[in-house]
Amino acid sequence: MKLVVSIIGSLSALLILSGQAPSFEQKADDSQGNLDANSTDSNVTVLPTLQRSSQTETIKKAEVDLRHGKEGERVGAAKLLGKYPSSLTSSILVGSLDDQSALVRRAAMVSLSEHFLNGFPLYDKSLVEKIFSKLGDPDVEVRREVSTLIPRLVSPMMRSGVERVMVNGRPVYRALPSTLRPDLLALTQRSFLDSDAIVRQNILKYHTYLQVPLPPVTLEKLLKDQDRGVLLTALDRVSYNASQPRVIAQIEKLSLHEDRGIRLKIVDVVRDSNRYNTKYRSILRSMTEDPDPEVTSMAAVELARFGEKIKPEVIDRIKKYLLSARGMSSQVTTILYAVSAMGVDGVEVYKALTGHGSSKMRTVAWQRFLSLSNGWKNPDGWIPALMDRDQGVRTAVINTLRGRVGTMGKISMGKLVGSSYADVRKFLAESLAGAENEAVLEYSFDLLIDENLNVRASTIRSLGVRRETGWLKIMERSLLDDEYVIQRAAMESLLTDPVRGILILKKYISKNPGERISAMIRIELQRAGIQP
Amino acid sequence: MMKCYQFYFLLIVFLLTNRSSYSQNANSLAPEGSLRVMQLMKNPNGVRRYPDALPSLLRMMNEQTWAKFDTDPLFISELTDERIHENPILYINCDDQPNLEFSPEENQALRRYMELGGFVYLDAGIKASFLGADLGHSYAAWDERPEVKEWFASVFPEKAFIPLDRSHDLFRIFFKGLPKNSDLKIEASQKRLPETVLTFVEQEKWPQGTYSFVGMKVKGRLACIASPICAMGWGQDEFGHWIPPISFRIRESAENFDENLKLASFAGGTFEVTREDGLKDIIYSQPGQRPVWVQEPAGKWRIFKYYSGEEISNYAHAFYARLGMNVFLYALLN
Repeated sequence: MKLVVSIIGSLSALLILSGQAPSFEQKADDSQGNLDANSTDSNVTVLPTLQRSSQTETIKKAEVDLRHGKEGERVGAAKLLGKYPSSLTSSILVGSLDDQSALVRRAAMVSLSEHFLNGFPLYDKSLVEKIFSKLGDPDVEVRREVSTLIPRLVSPMMRSGVERVMVNGRPVYRALPSTLRPDLLALTQRSFLDSDAIVRQNILKYHTYLQVPLPPVTLEKLLKDQDRGVLLTALDRVSYNASQPRVIAQIEKLSLHEDRGIRLKIVDVVRDSNRYNTKYRSILRSMTEDPDPEVTSMAAVELARFGEKIKPEVIDRIKKYLLSARGMSSQVTTILYAVSAMGVDGVEVYKALTGHGSSKMRTVAWQRFLSLSNGWKNPDGWIPALMDRDQGVRTAVINTLRGRVGTMGKISMGKLVGSSYADVRKFLAESLAGAENEAVLEYSFDLLIDENLNVRASTIRSLGVRRETGWLKIMERSLLDDEYVIQRAAMESLLTDPVRGILILKKYISKNPGERISAMIRIELQRAGIQP
Repeated sequence: MMKCYQFYFLLIVFLLTNRSSYSQNANSLAPEGSLRVMQLMKNPNGVRRYPDALPSLLRMMNEQTWAKFDTDPLFISELTDERIHENPILYINCDDQPNLEFSPEENQALRRYMELGGFVYLDAGIKASFLGADLGHSYAAWDERPEVKEWFASVFPEKAFIPLDRSHDLFRIFFKGLPKNSDLKIEASQKRLPETVLTFVEQEKWPQGTYSFVGMKVKGRLACIASPICAMGWGQDEFGHWIPPISFRIRESAENFDENLKLASFAGGTFEVTREDGLKDIIYSQPGQRPVWVQEPAGKWRIFKYYSGEEISNYAHAFYARLGMNVFLYALLN
């Protein structure tokens, strides 16, 4: 004779409910606390005036109603017990899962779900298995509740344990595997093809938690499911049987599905399944001719990521799709960034998108275009970007160009020096440091008297770097400027010339000892080891 | 500026033709001239609770109506932003803002915006106090949240928010009624919701596809509305899956509840919430749990039950999306 004792499972059965409802005085305190917490709200706390029964009494009454009441009373009791989560109330509710009334079973299942969702899971394996067995309930609402609850049932139900077996009068301990009971395993497998789509979908979602395999024949049936939710979930499960010819054939059929969302999902699936069979790659190729440009684009960029050359007509469709897109949705963003995978072909797409209506799109397009084509070498390529009406675009492009643009010529500078955007003129002022002499001679004065303070300061710094004839005079004059930013730029430039520059600075502070910049000059000179 | 809004009006009259058989392919190739919705984020770097919501909703409108929206909302951080006068709709998710305190200049700008024809949608502008800091809940209270009340007292001291009647045009300007199986894209024979849930939804929660909205009229025109949070129901991924999952809070009755719930053990606080008829429900809330039951003004007691799952979430999303589309389309037409 074998005596089997589930050691872990029995612990939770020993738990009893011992909590009592607080007295009326305690309730008043709680209410007051809530009133304080919500003192700014218009809604106010009101005090209950009735003497309520204790929690134990309430549960006891509900238990009696649930066992012996009429149908309506049983339903009410099952609903009420959902508000008192504990192992005792869960056990009472599990006991009513075989009630002849579907309404009672539904109410009990909803209350059990409430316990789980409120953080009071049931740990007793046999009770949880009882709940899970209702996956075979004739009532669809009960089955739906159970299938939704699966992730919360898995832990206690699939828990491994130890059993004590008496062998020849001596106790022997054996490990119990974390597998589903055979009858429940069979029930789960049947539920893959439940008559209700929500149950099918939930089982498809959670069968891996239960370690229940999905047979290829079943997957094939589910890939033919009429319900969109089931179909999308089934497609998530293709990787388990991706090498099966019948599954591949069904995926090929679905690549022509009328629903665009399904076809987009197919692109995802065939990309991930590509390593299992070469047929998937050919499905992807055929999808580049999809009537929907978004599907075409997704398929094409995935092929490009595999290193395949994309046909010019397909690239043209991607370009048109992106040009017509209204703003940066997640799909558009994915495609936009993935165009980089097309290499040289992608450059043309980005170039076309630099004229897009969306500023975000233009920003990405300019950045990618300049990066992929080394566009900073060609001013005619990037000058239009600095004429963009959106500051975000200009800032992004300037950040890309900064430090990369070589010697700027007179013609390029001439196109931008009259820009109405201060950020562009500031960029030009910074570029003066490495510009052609002709450009400096022609435009440095314009920038030196710019209306924008930062442009002027940047010009002074650039001229300080270049040290063209007469630069010391410019710095000396700039020290007399009313703006501290200008004075400081001039000071910084003069500090780089240890002979003439220092002399000018010393002369300045002797004449203007009270100026704010004079204090800064003294500090800088002392830092350089020079006594002012 | 008025010319600008008149242009939009004429444009929308043209655009708002119901597309009985819409082609999924047509939406992708869109003509120029789409409308841009503004979204206020007082802190531009702040966390948006439902970042996919508004773009998804605008995309759905592009797909299901002839209205053409830019799916990329224009974010502004101050109401004095000059671009406010270039766009007729301002969307504000009140839960996304660090606070609802604005400078007198901003309040003046908002007043001017509304007087000149602008429409303001205050999502999460209604929030029952018992929800506290829990932002993921929607509850059909019938008055604006206190912060909104205080804010608009500075914008329009002479006006107040008034509950929108269930028969208001806003609720049926394009979509009418609650989602049917065909709207949910499920088989005709499939149960779209559990019976008790469906009954409550159809009769009390969202009768004929309506919800608890309050509004403020300016120059005889509905210029601002506030609702419980709806954006949570607008998000869709690229495959058409709704995100994130939504649960339902349902009031259920049963035999003897009027006697049993009066006496049943209860250890939490109670809150009053304004109903549609102006009377007050008393909500019973247990510490650490969601509200447990409600005492209604006529003396009826009902229990709150919480339902989650695919069908619940899909239905809620379908409803909120239809409602959201109705709001924006109403804003354009009025």
